[in-house]
Amino acid sequence: MSFMENLFMALSSLKAHKMRSILTMLGIIIGVGAVIIVVAIGQGGEAMLKSQITGPGNTIELFYQPSDEEIRANPNIFQQAPFKQEDIRALEQISEIKSVVASSTQLSSVKFQKDTVDASSTGINQAYIKLNELKVAKGRNFSASDFLGGRRSALISNKLQEELFKGKNPVGKVVMVANQPIEIIGVLEKPTGLLSFGSMEVYLPFQTWKTIYGSSDFTQVTLQAVSTEQLQVAGKKAAKLLNNLHNTDKSYQVINMEEIAQGVGQITKIMTLIIGSIAGISLFVGGIGVMNIMLVSVTERTREIGIRMALGATRGQVLTQFLIESMTLTFIGGMLGIVLGWGTSTVVSFFAGWPSLVSWQVVVGGVLFSMVIGIVFGLLPANKASKLDPIDSLRYE
Amino acid sequence: MIRLESISRSFLLGKESVPVLNGISLSIHKGEFAAIMGPSGSGKSTLMNIIGCLDKPTVGEYYLGGENVSHYNDKELARVRNQSIGFVFQQFHLLPRLTALKNVELPMIYAGIPKKERQARAEEALMKVGLADRMNHLPNALSGGQKQRVAIARAIVNTPKIILADEPTGALDSKTSKDIMEQFSELNNEGVTIIIVTHESEVAEYANRTIMVRDGMIQSRFEGVRGPAG
Repeated sequence: MSFMENLFMALSSLKAHKMRSILTMLGIIIGVGAVIIVVAIGQGGEAMLKSQITGPGNTIELFYQPSDEEIRANPNIFQQAPFKQEDIRALEQISEIKSVVASSTQLSSVKFQKDTVDASSTGINQAYIKLNELKVAKGRNFSASDFLGGRRSALISNKLQEELFKGKNPVGKVVMVANQPIEIIGVLEKPTGLLSFGSMEVYLPFQTWKTIYGSSDFTQVTLQAVSTEQLQVAGKKAAKLLNNLHNTDKSYQVINMEEIAQGVGQITKIMTLIIGSIAGISLFVGGIGVMNIMLVSVTERTREIGIRMALGATRGQVLTQFLIESMTLTFIGGMLGIVLGWGTSTVVSFFAGWPSLVSWQVVVGGVLFSMVIGIVFGLLPANKASKLDPIDSLRYE
Repeated sequence: MIRLESISRSFLLGKESVPVLNGISLSIHKGEFAAIMGPSGSGKSTLMNIIGCLDKPTVGEYYLGGENVSHYNDKELARVRNQSIGFVFQQFHLLPRLTALKNVELPMIYAGIPKKERQARAEEALMKVGLADRMNHLPNALSGGQKQRVAIARAIVNTPKIILADEPTGALDSKTSKDIMEQFSELNNEGVTIIIVTHESEVAEYANRTIMVRDGMIQSRFEGVRGPAG
């Protein structure tokens, strides 16, 4: 007997008990749907977290961790910015480094007319704008002459605009940053993404920043390598150079954000796995539902089985018939579950603002797995059907 | 066509072996119309099950069309039932969700006959039993007599060696019983071997041979040919 013959037979007997078939399928639909939703949202979240941590470009951050001796020698070491302007110039000479992004941040007061707020004031160099994708919503961005001439101009964050100007246009206004008059030339775009909270920020060209705070040192230095492959080499060379210049052993180091991102990715993977297995349990329960209903079906159709056997159906053919029936049930359930899961995760990711990743592997896996469930949980009922005695089955009322 | 050689069949009741058939030897030839009669508990159902290859004898040999089927396994017996035997039951035993046509197609599905041929042969068989206009009806839209005709069509569609009818008129009124028995006579006239199990002597009268079973043994035989009644 052909597979198609069996399939039509299965469909017609599932159709004969519509309500029962739909309810049984519901277990599989919810199970497959839940697994797909969890995996899709988990993978989407992981991708988003990673991209936020690594940031744009092939970059690596330098940091300064003084040794115990240095701290003992100079207890105020943490108050001082660890990177000197000469350091930056020296770093720029390394051939693997494309640009050195340096900035210095201090908390200071920002005053407009009578209102004063605290904001973090960051002095940046030109490379910073490109790398951190500072985009201007109102006014204009820094130009090369702002950096070179040390003009008294500033970009402010959206949040600071709201706090200080209450919605009025701040472009062209003069504010007092640490009691120094600065002209606002632009407002930055509102940050997007789930983990970005608006913060109060003022960005100044480093030359300007230097005159305001009287310090020519940088607190943060990020290196951009010429290529991703050169990143590690650039990082090592930079750390070695700085340690030589400052006559320290291992105080200057690099943080590889890629590694941290991998670690975070690992965590979200495990989370996805845990929640996914809970969703998998619902799929298992759905499978038990299939087995249950197939057992009922076999008992109900004992006479049918007897008739089929009398007409020449072998035990194998009876087994196949019931296996295909339960597989059809779980296959249809699995397909509907994929539609449900895909739809739900698309809606969820739309509102959560992160990508939903329904990969084809998950879809194919979902279909195959639901068919496997059909076989596994259909095996016992189908086997029961095939073991029936034709004489007793024909007499069964 | 059929040869039973000292067939015995006993069943295990708990630890005790209860004999139901005791050394039955019997031959039925091609083209015969035989009635197996006997009171309930005589073992005639067990005998029919063995002839129909639904059951195997404990002792003895059973030759069906020259094949010794007494030691066949389940799969081989299924094939023999499919190819060589057509069953007609008292309770019709049609599948309720299939149309008359699909019910008749069923044995051919298990025989692996392609769809087109199956349909043509099923239609032919239904026409032969006078149900050309009922082919696409479900069994519960058919009368008892019509259901039994569908069952007969299903029994003959695979051109079996024998037709085995177990109380085929047991659930029918006397008028319909007569029609059904005439249908069997007609088939027998065309050369089909028919074995009917019954306890009604009116039914047995249609047969040209009666085999009496009592206490698991064949009691007497009425040999010789009687013309079919009616």
